[in-house]
Amino acid sequence: MSEPVAVLMRKAPYGSVYTAEGFRSTMGIGVFEMDLSVVFVDDGVYALVKGQNPAGLDMKPLGDGFPMLPDFGVSKFYVHDQSLSERGLKADDLVMDVEIIDDAGVARVLESCGIVLPF
Amino acid sequence: MKIGVLVLEGPYQHQAADSAYHFVQAALARGHEITGIFLYTDGVNNANGYIKPPGERNIAERFSELAAQGIDVVACTACARFRGFRRDMVAENVRLGGLGALADYLRGADRFVTFGD
Repeated sequence: MSEPVAVLMRKAPYGSVYTAEGFRSTMGIGVFEMDLSVVFVDDGVYALVKGQNPAGLDMKPLGDGFPMLPDFGVSKFYVHDQSLSERGLKADDLVMDVEIIDDAGVARVLESCGIVLPF
Repeated sequence: MKIGVLVLEGPYQHQAADSAYHFVQAALARGHEITGIFLYTDGVNNANGYIKPPGERNIAERFSELAAQGIDVVACTACARFRGFRRDMVAENVRLGGLGALADYLRGADRFVTFGD
């Protein structure tokens, strides 16, 4: 049995390629039936906010993609509560149901995954 | 120990690609096995066979050398397309491949190390 993998989303969804590639790699790895968790911390939580409209940046909204990930075998989503609250966000503002976790929860999830891919 | 490697940065701008190379060299010297090196996002630029740095280390050649030693070095096909890569540009012994290669390196590894921003 291979190590569980956590994809760690740390950055804002636009302005760099990291969130978009974190999403693509989650989808790409997920189809290989790996034990995969996606963890959103810091500005990474913005990736899940409803109603994103980056048309002015000539980009497509990233938030629409995450709710499709369960179709690709990915079902574990964690969001850091303090990262949300520091940005004035609540669970209701997000595009999908996720597990909201505190600092200790983030540590626990990352510790339980032998491999962490930081984006 | 089996170690997989992911590179998220291109050559020369930051140290990530150099660090990845030195890390792999050191790991091999200590008898560890590398499950593969996946060049992702700007990391695919490390596999540009046309890199010719006057008087400086050739980062593409380094990854070629590692691949020639039998290590699987794969540059992401989609990322390569986004960056104007053609197949004939890819450095010797490096190949283009999809995220399935990354999944294989992850699955085969006891430890997995990412070099990037």
